[in-house]
Amino acid sequence: MIKIANLKISFGDHEVLRGIDLTIEKGQVMVIIGPSGSGKTTLLRSINLLEYPTEGILSIGNSRLDFTPQTKPNATDILAFRRQTGMVFQSYNLFPHRTALQNVMEGQVIVQKKSKAEARIKSMELLRKVGLEDKADSYPHQLSGGQQQRVGIARAMGIDPALLLFDEPTSALDPELVGDVLKVIKELAGEGMTMVIVTHEMKFARDVADQVVFMDNGVIIEQGSPGQVIDRPTHERTRLFLSRLNDSVVQNQKI
Amino acid sequence: MSDRTERLIQIFIDSFLPLLKAGVAFTIPLTLISFAIGFALAFLTALARLSNWKVLNGIARFYVWVIRGTPLLLQLFIIFFGLPSIGIVIDAFPSAVIGFSISVGAYGSEIIRAAILSIGKGQWEAAYSVGMTRSQALRRVILPQAARVSVPPLGNSLISLLKDTSLAAVITMPEMLQKAQQITAVYYEPLLLYSEAGLIYLLFSTVLSNLQRRLEKRFERFSAR
Ligand SMILES: Nc1ncnc2c1ncn2[C@@H]1O[C@H](COP(=O)(O)OP(=O)(O)OP(=O)(O)O)[C@@H](O)[C@H]1O
Ligand SMILES: [Mg+2]
Repeated sequence: MIKIANLKISFGDHEVLRGIDLTIEKGQVMVIIGPSGSGKTTLLRSINLLEYPTEGILSIGNSRLDFTPQTKPNATDILAFRRQTGMVFQSYNLFPHRTALQNVMEGQVIVQKKSKAEARIKSMELLRKVGLEDKADSYPHQLSGGQQQRVGIARAMGIDPALLLFDEPTSALDPELVGDVLKVIKELAGEGMTMVIVTHEMKFARDVADQVVFMDNGVIIEQGSPGQVIDRPTHERTRLFLSRLNDSVVQNQKI
Repeated sequence: MSDRTERLIQIFIDSFLPLLKAGVAFTIPLTLISFAIGFALAFLTALARLSNWKVLNGIARFYVWVIRGTPLLLQLFIIFFGLPSIGIVIDAFPSAVIGFSISVGAYGSEIIRAAILSIGKGQWEAAYSVGMTRSQALRRVILPQAARVSVPPLGNSLISLLKDTSLAAVITMPEMLQKAQQITAVYYEPLLLYSEAGLIYLLFSTVLSNLQRRLEKRFERFSAR
């Protein structure tokens, strides 16, 4: 189980997350939606400790990090926490000097100290899972965006995270490549992977989410099942956000 | 053929081997040794400049400031002619190596620092996200990419250094330029002999350029650009 309590984060005077509380059960998929600038990326980045919270508690399994304005956890604890979470970036961020296979192996060999042979077997398995077995020896620049993103997913899975984080994994992709990536994520969900996904793909959210969270302006406005939040939102701001999203989808389809 | 032309050709032929020898015995080792030491110095200085440790950072900054801000020839004079007056006497070859290494270290550190800074934040974050420490991220992710970026400017430095070793002539090093001077004193054909030395420098620098090109090629395989 992953618990986030009273999580706050400020950049200078600007408080971007203003007290977030979330609980993610093992095997659950949580989808986070919300307008631009609401703090979705910042929330994911702080769970992955790429950004340090100014205040709050993060806990996953047995490890727990306490942040207060005066103190932050030591580097060892932060590293140990981070190693239990995997991150899939909006812009993939693959290592350009490594092949697809090497990208997936890297964390296993360098961080987990697995032998290369062992890491290779596991990485090939993961590449097969994301449908890229035949691209193992390609460099990132030789892959399409969708393929790169699937390597990104395999890389994040490689370190056996207890929680996998996705920040708009398909928003940099051409529309025809989105499906392959979403399919991989759905399969992971089917296998019981615990995930937090930021996305604007509402149909996908409805299919995959156990919980949908609507965020605005650094706070959670409402959360519940996809049916509750997407189909019958109780808050005006959620309704407004969803109707705008609908308009833009309809507009895109017209174009 | 006129006598004059014949004489020039003969001088050219007779001088070629002595000049080449001076190049192989002094110019080349001076270049390679100084570059190797200078590169190590440059790397450490770049890391110091990027560290959060203020003292280390300050020392690195000061070093680069002094060396970049004063003439290389003057630095060689200080090492070779100046230091003996406080009891430090260093032979010409090691003096030259010290002077050139320190110079490469200062200029090179800026190249390496810029190359490291040119690698986007996303790469650091990707490395952290798979659990790497800062030093693992630097070694496995940032430096290999920074290496690619820094090959062309470092190649430039190496070729500059090759030519700058001629400055060592003034601290009594019998390298190529000094050899050309010596032969000129015998035959009084400065145009011919200095041009001939220039030709050999050109030969050496062409070899270095080719090495650089090959190194760049090797890096191309992982880069779309
Ligand atoms: N490193 C930073 N320094 C200063 N401000 C930041 C930083 N990162 C994010 N912000 C600010 O925090 C706010 C939330 O940003 P965030 O990227 O989390 O939003 P988001 O919900 O992911 O938006 P989008 O849907 O556009 O991706 C924004 O106002 C942004 O300008
Ligand atoms: Mg975002």
